[in-house]
Amino acid sequence: MKRSSATTPVTVIGGFLGAGKTTFVNHLLATDSSRTAVLVNDFGEINVDVSLIASHDGDTMTLTNGCICCSIGTSFIDTMCRVLDAPLPYERIVIEASGVGDPWKIAEIALVEPTLRLDRVIVLADASRIAQLVGDVRVGSTVRGQFDRCNVVLLSKSDLVDPEALAVARAALLRLRPGLRIVETARGAMPTLAQLEAGPVASAFHVDTQLPDGSDHGAQFASWCYRRNGAFDRDVLAAALADLPPQLLRLKGSCRLDGEGGSAVFQMVERDWSISSGAAEDVDRAADIVLVGIGTADLPPAALLDAILDRALVDGPVLSCSTLSGVLIP
Amino acid sequence: MTTGTVVFAARKIITMNPSRPFATHVAVRDGRIVATGTAEELCVGEVQLDTSFADKVLMPGFVEGHSHIMEGLMWLMPYVGAFDRRSPEGRLVPGVGDIDSIVARLKEVEAELQDDRTPLYAWGFDPLHIGGKMLSRHDLDRVSTKRSVIVVHASFHINNVNTHTLERAELLRATSISGVVAGSDGLASGELQGIPARMRLFRALGNNPQAGSITEADVKRYVASACVQGVTTITDLHNDLTDQTVEVYRGATRAPDFGVRLVPALASASHAPEQAIAKLEMLREHCNDKLHYGIVKLVVDGSIQGFTARLRWPGYHNGAANGLWYIAPEELPRLVDAYHRAGIQLHIHTNGDEATELALDAVEAAQTAMPRPDHRHTLQHCQMADAALFRRMKTLGVCVNLFSNHIYYWGDSHYALTMGPERAARLDAAGTALRIGVPFAIHSDAPVTPLAPLFTAWCAVNRVSSAGRVLGRETEALTVEQALAAVTIGAAYTLKLDHLVGSIETGKYADFVVLEDDPLAIDPQRLKDIAIWGTVLGGLARKAPRA
Ligand SMILES: [Zn+2]
Repeated sequence: MKRSSATTPVTVIGGFLGAGKTTFVNHLLATDSSRTAVLVNDFGEINVDVSLIASHDGDTMTLTNGCICCSIGTSFIDTMCRVLDAPLPYERIVIEASGVGDPWKIAEIALVEPTLRLDRVIVLADASRIAQLVGDVRVGSTVRGQFDRCNVVLLSKSDLVDPEALAVARAALLRLRPGLRIVETARGAMPTLAQLEAGPVASAFHVDTQLPDGSDHGAQFASWCYRRNGAFDRDVLAAALADLPPQLLRLKGSCRLDGEGGSAVFQMVERDWSISSGAAEDVDRAADIVLVGIGTADLPPAALLDAILDRALVDGPVLSCSTLSGVLIP
Repeated sequence: MTTGTVVFAARKIITMNPSRPFATHVAVRDGRIVATGTAEELCVGEVQLDTSFADKVLMPGFVEGHSHIMEGLMWLMPYVGAFDRRSPEGRLVPGVGDIDSIVARLKEVEAELQDDRTPLYAWGFDPLHIGGKMLSRHDLDRVSTKRSVIVVHASFHINNVNTHTLERAELLRATSISGVVAGSDGLASGELQGIPARMRLFRALGNNPQAGSITEADVKRYVASACVQGVTTITDLHNDLTDQTVEVYRGATRAPDFGVRLVPALASASHAPEQAIAKLEMLREHCNDKLHYGIVKLVVDGSIQGFTARLRWPGYHNGAANGLWYIAPEELPRLVDAYHRAGIQLHIHTNGDEATELALDAVEAAQTAMPRPDHRHTLQHCQMADAALFRRMKTLGVCVNLFSNHIYYWGDSHYALTMGPERAARLDAAGTALRIGVPFAIHSDAPVTPLAPLFTAWCAVNRVSSAGRVLGRETEALTVEQALAAVTIGAAYTLKLDHLVGSIETGKYADFVVLEDDPLAIDPQRLKDIAIWGTVLGGLARKAPRA
């Protein structure tokens, strides 16, 4: 098939539910400054970390919730066509396959579409579950098939299992495909695309600013999403933030402040928080305020956390109706 | 009786109301049924007697509990399926049973097209119905070598195209792609499957006929088909409900002469549960007496004849690998629980028995966590359930809508390839549902099979395949009366509309199907052949078009 010289690389991210696909996509966005279109096919509370769009000047994202494998993929095809026909071409396309989908079936898009080229297929595997999943009666064949044609496996959450379990996970993967390239990753230690390019990779990566280590290995984390229209009062917000429970480890996203116009980037790690302006003005959001929090498993219920921040809203809570998913952010 | 009351006289009225099963007259006012009875009972005071149906038989209008608006879109293209089908204009389109007659029909249509650049699309092809023969690019080259020719399969998952199309899409030599099937000459055969090949095809042709947004004309064709088949309440059982679709539905259903009650189901695949729940809340304001929002559709697995349904042990009869999950098994309980808690009724597509079992596990968990009386979550298709699964449905308050048309269209394939003799005999086990007491309906899944509730009822009564094989008639067949109940009050129950439609009794909408013959008096083998005059919707008579 003939190729035009200007082709856009396509990176496909696969892996079963909970393997950490979205975390990795967010990591890619944070570590890569090219103009990237992201297509996501699983539901999360919020699929992709909104604050990363805000902090990434010039980045553009496309999200779709149309399930790729379901039905005949109409909504996925529509979204993909909009990406390909965008007036200002993208420098990279990242597609997050559905947790029960076959990433190779999506990767083939880059092989038949003349303006695209397949960068690689990366499949994530949860170190704590993969050995059990590949043999599961219900999903085993689905999971096994995801590794058939991938270029590299990211064995995620490797810091949450003991060395024996890690060895079991590696062995399970190598039984599927001897010689399979496996890179162990951990929370806050994930490779960039450039690092993955460079052949054998050490099993740990430099930790960028991520969650403070809960040190409680094996613990599950809970997330909380706060989405409102309106604006915070800066002073009341300071007081409200102090009332948030210690189980909340991180809170990130975008918000508006009363009388300050425009949108601001909010970040909080443990008790330290900051609000910085300079978010890209052309970024459209589903709501004025979108904050994603991560905490320990015993994080209090969302309603309780919502109520604390609602106090800081100037006009009381206005629930956002529109949502991020399926919206093309120009 | 009060003024404005019309009394329809009929040869016979089959009411589907057990407390007054038959009548000769029905009084209607303000679009609703005042009462059924005899002339003496109803023709009192200032009533207007309408005798136009005096020689006809009235039944409650049919309720199609599982069909799709796509039925209204398909008729813009020529039909090349193997079986006869009736168009929205009431025209009987004969089936084309071999490759030569498919090519001949396409040539006829091609001759009428002016511009060479206009692609020729056709639909309804299924190789299983013509002895496993696939349409090759060479077959379609006989139709045209200058124009793109695309034949969409009955399943909508596969397209067959001519050489010209493959060249335009640069797929002729792309046989390393899994969706580009190779022919014996090493080049593409013309069969294209899967998303990458489909996307390339549509990009090369410059349009995607399956992505077109719904127009009012599509809705009108759907309504016309409903009238032709005696349907007065119809579903659109998997729709993303984009703003544009919502607007079209709102505008169309508000027209006073809109001829059907429409029940769209929101597709869960395009929405996270919290979005879907918020959307349905908003859509509640759009509801009117002919537009009923509120249900959500989940699709758990694929299809049996496409070998994508999820089967329990021993799996596919011919040894094919197990099918595909469209929702991850561990995700389903979370989705079911979210909707269940929000008070929403779910319609869950499960073809294979493993998918059915998983769906029942999810409903059981949701019911245990938060018992909800009368949720009426309904399994759609549910073609392979055994008695034990039906007993679980009964215990959990789950309804089922069985795909009885499969017995005729794919019964032979199920017997020989997919399920084998024993499981094929209890395919779409309406008899089991009845014995165990699971509320049930039967459906067409139009446009997958033809919209025609009398035919669907015929399938459930006769249980015979297109090649003449009888499948489990002694144990799973319905009587005519039971089958008619399944396409009226039974289907209405699965949609939670049984208080409004599905039987002819006081207070309900005056929705009737007008039949030329009495289905209870004729030979059950002729049930599908009864002529349909048309419908009455909200008291307004609508003669079906005949072409
Ligand atoms: Zn369907």
